[in-house]
Amino acid sequence: MKFTKARALVLIAFSVPLAIELRTVAGFFNVELPLIAVAVIEFLFLALLFVLYGLYGEGSESPA
Amino acid sequence: MATTRSDRAFVDKFPHEAAIVKATFLVAFVALGIGAFFGLIQALHRTNVLRVIESADYYTMLTGHGVLLAIVFTIFFLCGVFHWAVARSLNRPAESRLFSWAWVGLMTTGTVLTTVAILGGLVPNLGMSADVLFTFYAPLQAHPLFYIGLAMFIVGTWLAGADWFLSYRAWRANNSGERIPLQTFMVLTTMIMWYVSTIGVAVSVVFFLIPWSLGLIESVNPLLTRTLFWYFGHPIVYFWLMPAYLMWYTVLPKLAGGRLFSDPLARVVFLLFLLLSTPVGIHHQYLDPGIAEGFKFIAMTNTMFLLLPSLLTAFTVVASMEHGARQRGGKGYVRWLGALPWRDPAFTGMALAGAMFAAGGFSGMINAGMNINYLIHNTLWVPGHFHLTVGTAVALTMMAGSYWLVPQVTGTKLYSRPIGLLQVIMWFVGMVFMSNAMHRAGLAGIPRRTAEPQYQNFEFLTPIGSIFELRVQIALGGTLLFLSVVLFLFNILLTSLGDESDRPVDAALPEPLSGPEGSPRILDNLAMWTGIAALLVILAYTLPLAGIIQNGGGLFGGGLPVPATLSAGLDFVVVTVSSAFNTLLGVIA
Ligand code: HEM
Ligand SMILES: [Cu+2]
Repeated sequence: MKFTKARALVLIAFSVPLAIELRTVAGFFNVELPLIAVAVIEFLFLALLFVLYGLYGEGSESPA
Repeated sequence: MATTRSDRAFVDKFPHEAAIVKATFLVAFVALGIGAFFGLIQALHRTNVLRVIESADYYTMLTGHGVLLAIVFTIFFLCGVFHWAVARSLNRPAESRLFSWAWVGLMTTGTVLTTVAILGGLVPNLGMSADVLFTFYAPLQAHPLFYIGLAMFIVGTWLAGADWFLSYRAWRANNSGERIPLQTFMVLTTMIMWYVSTIGVAVSVVFFLIPWSLGLIESVNPLLTRTLFWYFGHPIVYFWLMPAYLMWYTVLPKLAGGRLFSDPLARVVFLLFLLLSTPVGIHHQYLDPGIAEGFKFIAMTNTMFLLLPSLLTAFTVVASMEHGARQRGGKGYVRWLGALPWRDPAFTGMALAGAMFAAGGFSGMINAGMNINYLIHNTLWVPGHFHLTVGTAVALTMMAGSYWLVPQVTGTKLYSRPIGLLQVIMWFVGMVFMSNAMHRAGLAGIPRRTAEPQYQNFEFLTPIGSIFELRVQIALGGTLLFLSVVLFLFNILLTSLGDESDRPVDAALPEPLSGPEGSPRILDNLAMWTGIAALLVILAYTLPLAGIIQNGGGLFGGGLPVPATLSAGLDFVVVTVSSAFNTLLGVIA
């Protein structure tokens, strides 16, 4: 399956509610995540997606 | 065989119907643009990020926002969708062009009058104001123009329904014994529900609010106008939702590359909504002291039953999407999701809208529970909830659907699919920020409908975040949403200005996997279902209304309100009925 721009956009969209609710979920386990931690995690996710898109995305050489 | 455009495009086959749809969409989109702008102003104002209006004008904005988006945008758009769906599925034009234009004209005139009355509040010295919010019950009072416009608008929707029933009758004359085509079935059941429920608001506006705003009567019974409003105020949410369901059931499977899972199940769902959506309005009044707890309990029970058709919908729609994905080569338990046509903004927008609706359904169950409702009543949680339902499940489905419908009525190709895709994604992300923070703020006790909530010095547990963080989220979300609307309107405008295309869009809708043949014919007996719906309404509302009129000092209020109990309502009915009976006996004797 090709890693298209559309799929990347939809993945980014779905990552936002997960990131926002991360603090609540961590709270259930008595872990107090500060906002900045959530921002960093989301940023890392976006960076990972960016790299994957570069490797396997539309227009890349490698077979996906 | 080569097909010419005339075989395909709705606009060539039904040019007059296409013109009506274009007109209703135009009004809807103008309302969307203005309403979204007001939404942005509010979101920035109440979070103290940017203040361009006086706080005293906040209610004027909020009324404009609620009326233009929740009443004008949604209903004009759905009238267009229904007009399209009836002509398409019966395969015949409307009976009278003049009649169709008459309802469009009446609804539009009513909208203009109401909007003028609202916006008049921004002009000092005009002496006109209608800051009554989109729920417009007493004791807030508006300029008579507001109610008169509203009445015209509602009568316009009644005529629109008559238009579709006339088409159906004419079709029936040539097709006796056939099953009602699915889309027409959906339109007709929705309109019956609308007729049953708008009686409440019509009585309230014509007999109480208009005479009261004109000074013809001294006072009204506020609880009575509230109850009549909510008698209509819950079914209106299904009036918004049914066109979205119509698109999810009949269009979304096609966009996903598959077919609707089950036609009979879709019919059952629409009938359940017809039966259950009116006798539940009291669930908006859990905190009203003038209504006995027992009636609230009945409303809550009916509300929980309403979950059934929504869960049936979730099942059918997801099953149809999965079928589509597997047709496209999707495999695995979850990997098939990747095989869906995410590039298509019409598909992606509707799918995201459906996903958000699930979240809205969960927060709705909190609202519906009599006891936990107290936790969130009148807090920002409530706008958080309905921006997921009407504000996304409905509004985003309508915008996404436009990417597929507008080309059919203009005969031009969509201007830009990538911009469309970006637009629906922006709506989703913006709404995640705004609605999530609204829910959290509500749990923290921040009220809705307030220009200046004062909570600077509060700190909450980290899982909720600080008030500052919540405010930033709401302002950020509101800004993304507004930009999304701008992109949408821009894309639609350029689409309608584009060149004629031979094949603007693939408009064919495939047959369902399981067709109507196997389903009981009784499903199509609309008269019987209307009767049952009316009966349920009478059962649910007679006693509460009797109690409200008796305890609230009569039809026109004025007396001192008395705390309500079930037995007081019963007493009142017994006394009224027996005295009427005695009078009758006296006349006869
Ligand atoms: C541009 C996107 C939007 C933004 C920024 C926005 C923002 C807001 C805000 C901040 C409020 C709460 C104000 C308060 O209680 O003090 C509100 C209320 C409301 N919104 Fe939206 N909204 C948007 C879109 C929509 C849509 C699409 C709909 C419906 C189709 C909608 C329907 C409503 C309604 C009915 C209210 C309640 C009004 C009242 O309390 O009387 N909004 N909106
Ligand atoms: Cu309701």
